[in-house]
Formats: sequence, structure tokens, C-alpha cells
Amino acid sequence: MVKANRHPQVLFVLLLLLPAAVALSLAVGRVALPFSVLIDGLAEPKPNLAWLILSELRVPRTVLALVVGATLGLGGAALQGLLRNPLAEPGLLGVSGGAALGAVIAIYFGLAAAFVLAIPLLGIAGALAAGALTFLFGRSGTLTLILAGAAVSGLAGAGLALALNFAPNPYAAYEITTWLLGSVAERDWAQIALCMPFILLGWFCLAFTPRGLDLLTLGEAQAESLGVNLGLLRAQVLAGVALSVGAATAMAGAIGFVGLVAPHLVRPFVGHQPSRILLPSALFGALLLLVTDIAIRVLPTSNELKLGVLTSLIGTPFFFWLVLHLRRLSP
Amino acid sequence: MRLARFRACLALAGALFLTLTPVGGTLSPPGVQPDGPEPPAAAHGKPTRIMSLMLCNDLLLLMLVPPERIASITYLAHDAVEALMPGADRGVPVNYGTAEDVLLQRPDLILAGTYSAPMARRLARRAGARVVEVPATNSFEDIRRVVRQVGAAVGEPERAEALLAGMDVKLARLAAERAARPLRVVAWSGGNSVPGKGTLTDAIITVSGAENIAAKLPDTRYGSFGLEELLAARPDAILQGETRWTGPSLRDSQTAHPLIDRYWRGRVIGYPDAAYTCGLPQSADAAVALRAVFRGLPAESPAW
Amino acid sequence: MTRLQAEQLGFRVAGRALVEQVDFVCARGQFVALLGANGAGKSTLIRMLTGLARPSAGRVLLDGRPLHAIDRRELARRRAYIPQNARVEWPIAVERLVALGLMPQLPVFHDLDAAMWRKVEAALAQCDLGHKRGQPADTLSGGELARAMLARALVGDPDILIADEPLAGLDPRHAIEGMARLAALACAGRLVVASIHDLTLAARYATHVAILREGRLAAFGPTADTLTPANIRTAFDVTASIHGVGADACVDFRAVA
Repeated sequence: MVKANRHPQVLFVLLLLLPAAVALSLAVGRVALPFSVLIDGLAEPKPNLAWLILSELRVPRTVLALVVGATLGLGGAALQGLLRNPLAEPGLLGVSGGAALGAVIAIYFGLAAAFVLAIPLLGIAGALAAGALTFLFGRSGTLTLILAGAAVSGLAGAGLALALNFAPNPYAAYEITTWLLGSVAERDWAQIALCMPFILLGWFCLAFTPRGLDLLTLGEAQAESLGVNLGLLRAQVLAGVALSVGAATAMAGAIGFVGLVAPHLVRPFVGHQPSRILLPSALFGALLLLVTDIAIRVLPTSNELKLGVLTSLIGTPFFFWLVLHLRRLSP
Repeated sequence: MRLARFRACLALAGALFLTLTPVGGTLSPPGVQPDGPEPPAAAHGKPTRIMSLMLCNDLLLLMLVPPERIASITYLAHDAVEALMPGADRGVPVNYGTAEDVLLQRPDLILAGTYSAPMARRLARRAGARVVEVPATNSFEDIRRVVRQVGAAVGEPERAEALLAGMDVKLARLAAERAARPLRVVAWSGGNSVPGKGTLTDAIITVSGAENIAAKLPDTRYGSFGLEELLAARPDAILQGETRWTGPSLRDSQTAHPLIDRYWRGRVIGYPDAAYTCGLPQSADAAVALRAVFRGLPAESPAW
Repeated sequence: MTRLQAEQLGFRVAGRALVEQVDFVCARGQFVALLGANGAGKSTLIRMLTGLARPSAGRVLLDGRPLHAIDRRELARRRAYIPQNARVEWPIAVERLVALGLMPQLPVFHDLDAAMWRKVEAALAQCDLGHKRGQPADTLSGGELARAMLARALVGDPDILIADEPLAGLDPRHAIEGMARLAALACAGRLVVASIHDLTLAARYATHVAILREGRLAAFGPTADTLTPANIRTAFDVTASIHGVGADACVDFRAVA
């Protein structure tokens, strides 16, 4: 008979851990509020301090960490499935770079001062533009796609360097660099509400890809012979990743490695079939980013550690391990 | 035959290289005085070609000496001058703090800050200038010290004393008229740190009669601060540095967080950054202006 | 009645004609061996027959309908394609690899049911892989992977099977077994088209032979009539002699003197 499916147990465990992490995230913050005070705050007449801190600061932060983490995990899993490359992740297609450039342009030209929601909008625009450019130049196959993505990433990086070079004052340069390090703190509900439709739209695009990604396990020729429209599949993955990761980056800055790490850590439990790792990667990415964000708040550093810094510190050794691991496997 | 020509080319390249490197530069630099003992300050009279390499010194210089005696001030000064003393820098040349500027402008006195001092000292001998390192100011005592130091260096001690006297008058008046009720404020511009005890901003706030919440934070001069702390601390007013005239930066957008707008509407006070980071006699004016604004704040306390 | 017809097929790229004026008809019950020297255009022709490459000239008709007019999934259900050097990209279990062949018959967002898993079992048994069902596909040997790909192709019960060099890299025993399976499929009523390099195996197992030379169809017809020393000489530039008939056929060849 068919080998027992370990899938449901892993999802079950993840679904247990997530609420626990959420509770912890709501309880932990720079202002130490005992749990009882927080609970009382819900009942007492509003506004009171506990309610304000919870509803305006900690809940948005938690929600954002979950959404951004899920987006990165899902995007990484989808890209790894499409490119059949275990080193693929959203930054690879230049999407994160484009989003960052868009947001920085909003800051640099003062649009953000005039119109608070300029950063998310321009970030999404940048991500879509970068994604479209990659897609345009990378049509002829997987390798060209990866190369086009690297070129577009380089272009975005050059733009960012230019903006930093011409920063009108040292504060601007500092703020740009700090923003690029990534953070989910102190974002308001209006920004989140603006970006959520794009993220959901991106997830929606990606929801149609599992079948095609599974069939790509056999290679492009066989997948096509089994009825997959390769061009459409690439467009779906690219659009989904550009929309969701673009909006997420516009809100939270450049956060890397979650898209790389999450799929790898769920594969030992759910197997390698691309369709089976999509949802677990999203859940695990959400959990990973939330736990990292909690760690930031708990670690006793004088300046608050930035989210992107911690993910890089954890992710880079993992990346090295991954490269070594893959070298040992391949001939 | 070919080898000889190659050697000749190599020798030529080497000679060019040597003349262009710093080593070569010291061998025969055009138009610069040879090394010698440090020339004394202008023996008869005051320095007439004063160069300032730091923003705060630029402003002090403009207040102490007429433009004809200034060799140059930094390019950053203009925006600050427009905000504090409009028109004062008309006709004054501008430098970018580079070694070429120092060598070309041949100053006889260089006012440097802590970061520009090492370079200034290195070049001073060759430029024939005297270097005065002006330290940063974190209190009104520091301001008095620095203004006297610069006044002495440029040969205008009386003007320096006059500026300080004016400042002291304003400070005395502030101390005499106690504020109606001590307000609790914090200078938070949306970033992650606020100026606490031991910063000039704290001194100005204290002198204006308010209480700086950040002075109680355990960290050293700049304390860690975020929206959660803001909500918990419930200051009566928030001071935000106006960086508009130095160009846009993310702070401007972050300070527009809806919470600030909702609970501190009419209680957000903008202040020109230069007056709070550079120790100048104008810092007393800043405190006076602050007290005036405090008087105009609405009386009701925040909603929780 | 399955009928695959190539009508004046041509394929040009960068001004060069890789395939020109290829015309033939094959039907169910036939095992067509596609022969030709390297670069003769076999792979290009096969890609046009599967519908993956659009011909520059002419068309391919399946039961009278042009391929490009047939819906992708319907075409996927009717014909299976095994490309050259088929690889598996992720180390999934063999049974899951084989199950992928059923995807065209499965509506989107549905998972495999018990009936489909039985088909997978049958396909695994048919290709002698029952004992390997749980093994990761990247640990299979060359012959086993070839059988797994064949099982994947067969699980959906296609009318047509098109294979590009299915015997590449297989040792003699596995090559013979592979050919025997393909011939059995044809006997059972499918149409099998495969490009082969081994002339002896083609002579023994194929019902029909198509010989390509420089992009043109040099010969097409039943094996006995078409696989002649003269045709072999035209296609491969070697002198050949054929001994025996049917299952005992043997093609001997040596370089042209």
C-alpha cells in the first residue's frame, strides 16, 4: 500500500506552535506589562495603556511578522519548485531589490513626507517592475531566468548605492540603511491594510501552481507533455512572488534567508514533492520570522537589533551548510 | 634593441609614477612653502583668513568675525544659516572639508571639530596655519567654554563675551520666571533613540522649565526609545527635530504614525535641529522659544 | 482507431532546415523505430510529433485533427512522451513519480484516490519496480530510472507512446528488456514511436522503420522491407549485412571501405 503520509502530523505541530508564538509575541515588548494587566486591559474602558500597546503596536507587529514570514516561505518554496534549484529564493529574482529601490525612492524624493503610504505603493511598483524585467529577459528557460534575476538584482543594488551616494544629509543615508536592514516594528494598520490586498493577490496566484510544480519534477519537456503550460506557470509564479514579496518588502524592508531556509527545514518532514511543501513552508516561514522578532525584543542589546540582521546572522551559516551539503550530494 | 626600449619605457613610467604619488608630492610640490617650524599666529592683529571645517564652528565664526576675514565655511552651513541668521553667509566662500581646499585657500587659522582635526593638523604645517580643535558641547557651560575659546582664537574675545552675556541674560530670565507647571516632554523624532541626560537637547529642555523624560533612562546619553515607551510614559508634549530644510528622510514619515496624530495632536513641537546639536548662544533663544510654546499648550491631559 | 500522420513536416531554425518535407502515417499496433545518423533530425521530428514544437511547415494530425487544435490535457491523456536522458529533479519516491503520469486525468486541487493508486501499482508491476516503490528516485540506477519513466508514461494508459532514445546508456540486458516492453505495448494495441541507435534491436522488435537522412525521410515502411543494406548505407554511410529475420535478425555493419 502507499507509504504513510507524514504530512498531517507536521501541519498539526505547526498549527500548535503558531498560537503559542503569537501569545508570546503579544506578551513580550519593550514595556514590560504582566499578562494580567494585558488581559484586564481588554475589559477595561478604552483607551487604556495595555489596550493601546496591544492593539496599536503588538498586534500589528505580530500580524506583520506572520504575514511577511509566510509570504517569504511560500515564495521561496514556489521559486525552488519552479527553478528546480534548492538555492532559489525571492531575492534571487531581483524582486526584493526592486521593492527596496522603490521604497528608497519614495524616501529620497520626499514623497513619504507628503504621502505616508507612498513607501508601500512605490515598493510594490518597484517589485513588479523588477519582476517584469526579469521575466522579459529570462523567458527562454530556467538558467536565463536565474541570470536575468541576478542582473536585475545588480541593477537595483546600483540604484540603491546611487541613492545613498547622493543622500542629501547623513541622516537620510542612515535612515535608508536602517530601513534596508528590515523591521516589522511600529507599522500602522493603514500601511498593513494597503499592502494586504497585494499580498493576498500574490498568494492567490501561487495557489494555482502546485500541480505544475509537481510535474516539473520530471523536467520541462515531460511536464509540457503532461499538459503544463510552462509560460503560464512561470508567469503565475513570478506574478505571485512579485506581488506578495514586493508588498511585504515595501512594508518590512529587505529580510532575507527566510525564503531559503523555510522550505529546507520542512522537507525532511513532508518529502520533496513541491506541492507538498508550499503550505508547510508558508507556516514555517511565519513561525520562523515571528520567533526571530520575539528574540529581538528579548535580547538585551542597547540598540534594538534589526530583524534583517538577525535573519542574516542565522541564515548565512545555514546557506554555507546548504552549499556544502549539496556539493557532497552532486557528482 | 627591443629590451632597451622596454627598459626606457619602464623607467619613464616609474618616474611619472613617483612624481604623482605622495612621496613624489613631497619632493617638489608646486607653490607650497617648504617644511619649517610652525609659523606663529599673526603677530600684529588677528587672523584674517579663517577657515572652518565644521558646521557648528561655521555658525560661531559668522557671529564673531566679518565675512572679509573668513576664508571659507563648510557647504553644510548654508541651510543652518538660513534658519538661524538669514543672509549672514552672503559672499562667504564654501569648502568641502577636503585637503585640496585647505591647501588652496591658504588659511592662517583653521577651526576644526573632533573628526576634522587630525587631517587639519597634518596639513596645517604645509598650509602655514594654526589649528584650533573645538570640542563638542553638551551643556551651557560647554557653550561658554567653546565660545570663549573660539573668540580668543579669532581675536575677538570682547564680541564673544558680549554674545555670552546676552545668552546669560536670557537664561537668568528663564530661571527667574518659573513655569506654571513642569511639563513632561521627550525629544523623539521617530527613530530608536532619544537624547537623555548629558546632551545639549536635555540642557535646553531643562532650562526651559520642562522635564525631559529621557533623562531618567538608564542608558548613557542617547537612550533607546520606541512607541511603546512613548505610550507608557505619556509625555505632555513631543519635540521633533525639523529636518525639512536638510532634505527628506524616513523620520518624517515615521513621525506621522497615526498614534502620534491621534493622541498628541497639537502637542507636537518642531524645533530646528542645528540649534540643538550645535552649542551656540542661540541655544538660549531656543529655550525661550520652547517655553513660549509650552505656555500655549492645551491644558487637558492625555486620554488614559 | 489511433492514427498519427505527419503531413509535409518541416522545421527551420536560423535559416537552416532541420527537418524537411516529412510525410508518413502510423497507426495503432505499430512499433515505429526512428533511425538516423546523429544530427539527422530525429529529436526535432519527435518533438513535432509530440506537439511540443510547432512545425515551421506542414502539420501533425492525430486522428485527423491538427495537434495544436487539441486541448493540452486531452493530448496529454492520449499520448505519452519520454524525452532523452529523462531526469528526476527532486528525490521523490518512485511511486509518486509514477503517479505524476496520472495528473492529466486528475482535476486541479484533487488528490489521487484508491483507484488511481491501483493503476500506479499495476504500472510499477508492469515495469518490474514493485519492490522499489518507496525508494527515492534519485538513487535508482540508469536502467531502473528508465523503467520508472516508462511506468510513468504507461500509468495513464495512453494510446500513443513517443520515446526519444529510450535505450541510451542501458546495458545489453536492460536494452533488450526495454525493447521487448515497447514491442509488447505495440502488440497490445498502442502506437509506439521510438528513436533507436541499435540496428539489430530495431530489426528484431520494430514493426516499422523510418529512416531520416539530413532532415528528410529517406524511407518508411515495414521493417523487413525498409531495413535493407541499401537504406542503411544511405542513412549511416556504413556497409551492412542483415542475417536472419524477425526475432533472430542481426545487423552487421562495418565502415565503408
